[in-house]
Amino acid sequence: MSKLDSKIPSGSIESKWQNHKFSSKLVNPANKRKHSVIVVGTGLAGASAAASLGELGYKVKAFCVHESPRRAHSVAAQGGINAAKNYQNDGDSVYRLFYDTIKGGDFRAREANVFRLAEVSANIIDQMVAQGVPFAREYGGTLANRSFGGAQVSRTFYARGQTGQQLLLGAYSGMMRQVDLGNVELRTRREMLDLVVVDGKARGVTVRNLVSGEIESYEADAVVLATGGYSNVFFLSTNAMACAVTAAWKAHKRGAYFANPCYTQIHPTCIPVHGENQSKLTLMSESLRNDGRVWVPKVQGDKRHPNEIPESERDYYLERVYPSFGNLAPRDVASRQAKYRCDEGRGVSETGRAVYLDFADSIKRLGQDKISERYGNLFQMYDKITGDDPYKMPMMIYPAPHYTMGGLWVDYNLESTIPGLFVAGEANFSDHGANRLGASALMQGLADGYFVLPSTIGNYLGGTKLEKISTTHDAFKFSADEAKSEISKLMGIKGNRTVDSFHKELGNIMWEYCGMGRNKEGLKKALELIPKVREEFWNNVRIPGDANYINTELEKAGRVADFLELGELMCQDALEREESCGGHFREEHQTADGEALRDDKNFCHVAAWEWAGTNKKQSLHKEELTFENVHLATRSYK
Amino acid sequence: MSGFLGSTVGKKYIMGITGLIWAGFVLAHMAGNLLIFVSSDAYNAYGHALTSGNLIYVAETVLVLALITHVFCAISLTKNNREAKQSRYAVSAKGQKRVSLASRTMAVQGSLILAFVILHIITFKYGTYYETTVNGVVMRDLARLMVEVFQSPAYVVWYLVCLILLGFHLTHGVGSTFQSLGLMNGSYRDGLRKLSLTYGVVVALGFIAQPLYLFIIH
Amino acid sequence: MAGKMINLILKVWRQKGPTDTGSFAEYKANNVSTDASFLEMLDVVNEELVTKGDEPIAFDHDCREGICGACGFVIDGEAHGPLKSTTVCQLHMRNFKDGEVLTIEPFRSKAFPVIKDLMVNRSALDRIITAGGYISTNTGNAVDANANLVPKADADEAMSSATCIQCGACVAACKNASAALFTSAKISHLSLLPQGQVERKDRALRMVAAMDAEGFGSCTTTGACEAACPKDISLVNISRMNREFLVANVTKQPKHQDGGAG
Repeated sequence: MSKLDSKIPSGSIESKWQNHKFSSKLVNPANKRKHSVIVVGTGLAGASAAASLGELGYKVKAFCVHESPRRAHSVAAQGGINAAKNYQNDGDSVYRLFYDTIKGGDFRAREANVFRLAEVSANIIDQMVAQGVPFAREYGGTLANRSFGGAQVSRTFYARGQTGQQLLLGAYSGMMRQVDLGNVELRTRREMLDLVVVDGKARGVTVRNLVSGEIESYEADAVVLATGGYSNVFFLSTNAMACAVTAAWKAHKRGAYFANPCYTQIHPTCIPVHGENQSKLTLMSESLRNDGRVWVPKVQGDKRHPNEIPESERDYYLERVYPSFGNLAPRDVASRQAKYRCDEGRGVSETGRAVYLDFADSIKRLGQDKISERYGNLFQMYDKITGDDPYKMPMMIYPAPHYTMGGLWVDYNLESTIPGLFVAGEANFSDHGANRLGASALMQGLADGYFVLPSTIGNYLGGTKLEKISTTHDAFKFSADEAKSEISKLMGIKGNRTVDSFHKELGNIMWEYCGMGRNKEGLKKALELIPKVREEFWNNVRIPGDANYINTELEKAGRVADFLELGELMCQDALEREESCGGHFREEHQTADGEALRDDKNFCHVAAWEWAGTNKKQSLHKEELTFENVHLATRSYK
Repeated sequence: MSGFLGSTVGKKYIMGITGLIWAGFVLAHMAGNLLIFVSSDAYNAYGHALTSGNLIYVAETVLVLALITHVFCAISLTKNNREAKQSRYAVSAKGQKRVSLASRTMAVQGSLILAFVILHIITFKYGTYYETTVNGVVMRDLARLMVEVFQSPAYVVWYLVCLILLGFHLTHGVGSTFQSLGLMNGSYRDGLRKLSLTYGVVVALGFIAQPLYLFIIH
Repeated sequence: MAGKMINLILKVWRQKGPTDTGSFAEYKANNVSTDASFLEMLDVVNEELVTKGDEPIAFDHDCREGICGACGFVIDGEAHGPLKSTTVCQLHMRNFKDGEVLTIEPFRSKAFPVIKDLMVNRSALDRIITAGGYISTNTGNAVDANANLVPKADADEAMSSATCIQCGACVAACKNASAALFTSAKISHLSLLPQGQVERKDRALRMVAAMDAEGFGSCTTTGACEAACPKDISLVNISRMNREFLVANVTKQPKHQDGGAG
């Protein structure tokens, strides 16, 4: 087993990032123009990286799968973004944000990365305000804050229930400015199908032009993947339809290790599944738990209308079990508790797989106007989807896959195991450990793009000798040919089943055996089932039309093909990790009261997987995690 | 300034300002017409007073120029708008997202109103010249011409249609002008809509009253 | 939220590519749950088409939460369908009656060429943003976020304009295919904030010029855009844009060769 070098700078945790920046190699302004960087994905991490790299003078080639970069799924984040500003004078600090994030991640994140994240968090808010993000404000004109799960301070900045949208528009406008100035070339409706590696270094990408069907090659001196997470492996998740693992997975197959794939976040407050033909699940922001109280009836099978169940017959279980954090317990904890209540037969709705999120008390205390000002758009969204009015009756919610903490392994520089391949945002594994706290994804994406990558990519380019290459190089041709042959293989199957039917089948397996609760027997079963589904997929999928123009079924098929491989790795990783931590809950490893039971002796490491070839078991590499600043302790939110 | 005038927004400013000139004119014209309800002499004396100074030439020049500019901008924008839309939908909106007929058909209304204005000027300004004497002053007897013209039911109907159309044009146009000129604000938006509606109705009713009255009493 | 089942007849615009003329095709959507969204209803129709070996109806969509702005087509002459303040992905089938016949067309405008079926190219809107729909501030330059106080009313108003999702429904609904609501929402958002003041005039001049250059029509204040807007962007924004444009013209000569003071 090779040793993974995380390249954590020396020195105290507070000085690491500053020292590292100082000792990083620089590229002089005249030379920056000669370097090109490819950025794949234009969400918060990708757009902010493209903008900042363009500002520095690099020639940036940005790619997105959407018709416009502003449609990236970051746009859907609702609740807010954390930053250690301590504007509320409630005892917040960089150190507290660092501590909360490490603890929230159940001690499975790298300390140095998390500290840096907390350190730059305040700059993110400054930057976004400067770009015109209309954050919520107090009457005095200062910025407003709200609280989020897993924290006892108010450090979350927000723009109504559309914070992700406003931040993305900020990053997007910064990038479009660079497009205007000619520093960023933007190519939309392009899907990355391969990473091109030359002499062991990432030097380009192979993409499919989704409109013309053409396979195109682009070269650069470094490649950034900011392509998001893989929750869609579950088919039903809160992710957008086009969210896929494809770009990361292709890089994985070219040698980038995939870390902690089993760390998936199941978000506690989503609108429950309504039926067979549901295409995705909708999140109801965690911020709702600021004013909403979660409960189920005390007795099993209580079919009364929620408004008819008297106070004394309700179990506000989060407040009961976690008196100090109450309804603001972290996501993994809150999700698991909802699952327990439903397993006990006390779930509500027709399916019995839902719990109530009740605003009656807050409406009584603050008035409907105040609640509407805070959550109006969320209430409206809930009403549109379910046909129920949450001002009049409690919302029904249930956990759903939402975020993936796992991703491509990166070192402190956000560089993967392939030199020159950098990975940012949800696509990497770095900052959230085994569970991400609410309002931290936006923070991480922007930290990576605005503040980390511009520095570390400069260091790479300044210190690496790179041959001049062009897309006529054989490596590009091989890569393009491989992409083309995979497409013709898919098109040639002409089987009987739709792509979605396979995706749903995989999703069911993943949710059943690798979802909120996992155990050895189930994971083993999943590891038997998934290869069978994959085999059938490659023999029986049906893709109508041609590959030489827009073909939405072909796009989906390529993504599902990669999910069918990733799913297996997730189960493998979940099976190997014989402990419970954060979002990874192994039923064999729990405390008497059903909390996650870590095994720090054997599993205080990052599991990074190396591709070994199709249908071969991937090899495992371990990066040991050391905690020098935060004591390894059992998480308690009681 | 050429950039301003060449832009769609600039042209809307021009249309708004020229539209307002005409909106003001038609209101004044309508009010003057109401003198027929006082007496023919009062009506003729008013007309005489208006046309005896040099001011009439200034006013006419402004009005003609405003009209030409308004029409020119309208044609240019409408042409551009049709090109921009290219094709229409197979089904038209019926529900909450449907918009007012007045706002949708401004170009058609405008074309008819232009035809009406030209005919109207031919009929009256360049119509038969009768003379009368009011308080010892010899002047044109416009009232007589009017009574003659409005004896024909077809002519009255044509007038009614055109004047209602003019009112209709104003119900949208007046409010829309404030929008185009950048003077709209959320707080008085609804008030302005009502004002625009009232303006159009008052102008139309005021104008209609005259031919109807003359047709009925003679 | 107990759903029932309804049956519908869909007349859907099918067009192979930008140069194809296109025509309507009729499909039956049977056993549609009223709890399903309009796009989920189309998913079911598409699954049947694929199973038969036909090409599915192509339409843009992604988040299905009404925020990414990817989805959008016209149902019975109305952009995003009959429900106000709603994108087509959030339009649920409980808003339709059993047996209804629905005509589904792509957004129509010269500036939005059809790519395939209900999918159009709205990149013209991105180009309008590129022409100054931003604040020029390099990473690392920002002062403390609370250094500039913003009156809550201004911040709220700016936010209301900034909620635009760039779906293009305003253009689609407008008989003139005007992008005035879209362009004005961005001009308003930035002109209402202290951070947007420096480039305020340039922005108004450049964005209006870009809007015209893309071949959009002009605003005739029909209000169709506002009625169709899933985010309730107000028509007042257009008035503000016109004012900004006039003031910029009167007080400053255009000088945009430097790409927005980059």
